[in-house]
Amino acid sequence: MTTVLVVIVFTTAYILIATERIHRVAAALGGAAMMVVLGVVNAEVAFFSERTGVDWNVIFLLLGMMIMVGVLRQTGVFEFVAIWAAKRAKGRPFAIMVMLIVLTAVASALLDNVTTVLLVAPVTLLLCDRIDAPPVPFLIAEVMASNIGGTATLIGDPPNIIIAAKSGLSFNDFVLNLAPIVVVLLLVFIVMARVMFRSAFTFHPEKVEALMALDEREAITDRKLLIKSMVVLLAVMIGFVSHSALHLEPSMVALLGAGALVAISKLDVSDCIADVEWSTLVFFMGLFIMVGALIEVGVIGTISKAATEAVDGKYFLASTVLLFASGALSGIVDNIPYVATMAPLVADLVSSGGGDAGANAAWWSLALGADLGGNATAVGASANVVVLGIAARNGHPISFWQFTKYGLIVAAVTISIAWGYVALRYFMFA
Amino acid sequence: MRARELAEQFPIVSLTTNALTAARTMGDQRHPGLIVCDGEGHPHTVLPGSQVLRFMIPSYIQDDPALARVYDERGSDELLTKLSTKTVQELLPKRQDRDELPVVDPDATSLEVAAVMVQMRSPVVAVVDEDKQVLGAITLSRLFQVLFPAVPEA
Repeated sequence: MTTVLVVIVFTTAYILIATERIHRVAAALGGAAMMVVLGVVNAEVAFFSERTGVDWNVIFLLLGMMIMVGVLRQTGVFEFVAIWAAKRAKGRPFAIMVMLIVLTAVASALLDNVTTVLLVAPVTLLLCDRIDAPPVPFLIAEVMASNIGGTATLIGDPPNIIIAAKSGLSFNDFVLNLAPIVVVLLLVFIVMARVMFRSAFTFHPEKVEALMALDEREAITDRKLLIKSMVVLLAVMIGFVSHSALHLEPSMVALLGAGALVAISKLDVSDCIADVEWSTLVFFMGLFIMVGALIEVGVIGTISKAATEAVDGKYFLASTVLLFASGALSGIVDNIPYVATMAPLVADLVSSGGGDAGANAAWWSLALGADLGGNATAVGASANVVVLGIAARNGHPISFWQFTKYGLIVAAVTISIAWGYVALRYFMFA
Repeated sequence: MRARELAEQFPIVSLTTNALTAARTMGDQRHPGLIVCDGEGHPHTVLPGSQVLRFMIPSYIQDDPALARVYDERGSDELLTKLSTKTVQELLPKRQDRDELPVVDPDATSLEVAAVMVQMRSPVVAVVDEDKQVLGAITLSRLFQVLFPAVPEA
């Protein structure tokens, strides 16, 4: 009976999160509270169990990165790079779009996607204003580049952070397995953008002067802080790359970096933590407790057993289903709760493969599907919603279908290419 | 002191007044806002100077003020010329975003005027009679002058 009630609570909370009938934090915390009321979750299960509790590695990795981004954004470096790149493109709209796509994708691989688009969107509007180009295609291209670029690393997208925590895969594992296909996908996306947004690339030579008159150096608000931030960020990246050798979890690396940056920045601490999205962190905690309850009552174990039996060693089929189903679902529902729920299932599936490369491919299929699927619709990823809000506020509203008509194509093409990559790398040439 | 005694002559513009003209009026006469009347001369709203700035400065610069630094003089001037093709009506926030009018009757006390200013977050309050005609306006500085009179030096 308790198991049935736990499933009902979980499903209800999930529906509320997906439909946004109430705030997602309220839904996740309400669900977690119900699990406590049902007697399935106690302090030990919720806070101290590695198997069923809140994954503090995920929480503190996100917290550390949010603090570092909060400091870094105060330097004006993103504005500087975007304007510098646009000036190198000499006002040619497509060249500027390519520069912005690459900048956004690289930044998203290293930082949170929402933060990246929040930083890049305003300067994009400025650039489009200067060259008299319609900003909507640029904004859509950027957010899609952000979702693609974020797929490349462990820290690029929250689903990847959850997968890393549940799988034990390292930062380098993510880079070696996902970054190559992300580079290919970005190149394909640039070609697609050239075709999809072709009407936006009218060149106005008379506007070049207005663009070139912008002084990107003025965007840097604090040079000393920029240098300090870059040094710390470089050290953090080195820490991520070598975290396995150093026996340091990525969360520890991020926290050390955040602590060091706060200490040397001489900024007010409240300014440093102003950009921390506490609601997102609490949402994660609620989710982990709800999923932990499913594990505790044996639901995840039962489904895992059934899935493992159904797969019966056919890992290519499993990866294919996982990739496309994750892509489709992530376009409709938030990919964070989806991955949080799927991660324990995939962990069991992979462990049943006993280190088989094909079994491990399930992790990459989950990551690629969940991350790339976010491009499918206007509500597929948090970054999409943020950009739509910025566009509307600036008098360039993007409708759900205006975004989705491009998003469906981009998601379908990128996920199909990713499937080919998984098939070739982990099955045909494994 | 009552509102009728506090009220001063104040420039009034209509909804169709050119936005640049309205902004210049504010600047020339050093007023923090203007009273906007409808076609029948009844007060429609108060246009605060901050609203003119909000319209003039693109939202992307409001989102990221660091971008304001990258403009050269010419670029800044281009932003300001946006006003010349607009009317006062176009500067005003959409109806649903607008509070009710910052208006007091001539018998309102200075404290009532202060309360309306705080409630409406308006630096100007119009003084309107029973026939809905504007008698004048009370600015924040005028109110402060009355509330905190200068102390003669010993």
